Amino acid sequence: MKSYDAVVIGGGVIGTSVAYYLSKKGIRVALVEKGDIASGTASRSDGNIKISDKRPGIETKMAYESQLLFKELANEISYNFDYTQRGSLCIIENEEELKVAQEYVKKQAEDGYPMRMMDKSEIHNDEPYLAEDIIGGIEIDCDASVNPMALVFGLSLGAKKNGVEVFDYTPIKDIRLDKKGAVEAVITDEEKLITKYVVNCAGVWAPEIGNMVGINIPIIPEQGQLLIAEKTFQVVEFGRLMTKFGDKNYKRNVSPELEELGIGFVFEPTQANNFLIGSSHTFVGFDTHVSIEVMRGLAKRAIRFLPIMKNINIIRAHAGLRPYIQDHMPIISKVDEVPGFYVAAGHGAKGICLSQFTGKIISQMIAGEETIMPNDILSINRFKRNETKKP
Amino acid sequence: MKNEDDDIVICRCEEITLSEIKRAIKEGGALDVTGIKRRTRAGMGLCQGRTCEKLVQQILKEQLGKKAEKIGSSTSRPPVRPVTFGTLGGK
Repeated sequence: MKSYDAVVIGGGVIGTSVAYYLSKKGIRVALVEKGDIASGTASRSDGNIKISDKRPGIETKMAYESQLLFKELANEISYNFDYTQRGSLCIIENEEELKVAQEYVKKQAEDGYPMRMMDKSEIHNDEPYLAEDIIGGIEIDCDASVNPMALVFGLSLGAKKNGVEVFDYTPIKDIRLDKKGAVEAVITDEEKLITKYVVNCAGVWAPEIGNMVGINIPIIPEQGQLLIAEKTFQVVEFGRLMTKFGDKNYKRNVSPELEELGIGFVFEPTQANNFLIGSSHTFVGFDTHVSIEVMRGLAKRAIRFLPIMKNINIIRAHAGLRPYIQDHMPIISKVDEVPGFYVAAGHGAKGICLSQFTGKIISQMIAGEETIMPNDILSINRFKRNETKKP
Repeated sequence: MKNEDDDIVICRCEEITLSEIKRAIKEGGALDVTGIKRRTRAGMGLCQGRTCEKLVQQILKEQLGKKAEKIGSSTSRPPVRPVTFGTLGGK
């Protein structure tokens, strides 16, 4: 029998971040993971730390706070997780998009974020390989990237140095509550971990953990695939990230197949000098097999914007499961019904990006401090009135 | 203790040495081939582990001793050989 202040469940990017930030406050933490550290969604993700795909307001604020924390983290832990802030470029293909993009950039710039429009000649001057018909873009200076797996290993080692006990390959059997219904202990095959707080950071598996204390967590797995390209020349200047501008305020100009598979365009150079191409969005349960249709769609979409890529090799494709929530906002929340139980999950495709924000704010909530921003909108209580429907 | 052999390159594509792999086991806690891969990039390059996987398995066996129960192999994923974006996506 061992005793802690908090038990964090899940050894992915959210769990290791939460454990790390809790440990910085001197809180005694056990981190419990059913397999290896970084073996789930974190090992099948891109490493974009960007505000350029976030909605203005709270979503951008969360991402920006995370960016600032990433900068600190890179100096704080000795493990190199390939943090680079090279900025990103968001490309625009038609007049309709341009109008929406201009409004978006105006709003973001008013809020103080480093974003500006680029006209056609400037963007083609910077990016000689870009498809000729691209009419402009947005430059975002604060966007960065990391190696997600290295990040998680770095956080886990950093947490260990701060005294966190890591239980890997340790599935959880049960969570025990006391007579008043508050968290009392986490039960594994071999151990009983006494604790006042439990933080459920189990991502797509968070609903299983929620069931152990009788709460419903409306997260479902959404599959996303990535193509990995060979090491090659610099396709996008300055090693920037490149994405296609998107907004729910207009319909994308794509084929029905691409629409059905939710194929987008994300180009992410890595520190290893190759690059990742995403993204896709499909609901296929817990299946992590790649599909040839999605691979074809991703390749097609990449060539659409960077035609030179048709001669570059793909060396691997993989699929990961994102913890999807219908309103596209994570749950970062205490659970009123079960005192001591917290949920930090459901980050969709933004888990790597929002991890530092999440770790920080959960550590503030548990320490009873004022949080970096109001967190009502992230509360699990938002699902009580109208239950989230499956897509 | 540092051994001269530790500078031997195990994964040629990503230039990962024996000592980096040993460190991933000893300090990083890797117990299997995918664990090594995620911690060091060994097997992530152009050949996707075709050259180094057997060596990595052998190092795991040596280093882990009795704990080397499930060192496994890397997950097979497409493409089997590198293929261009053009071939896959249609020109």
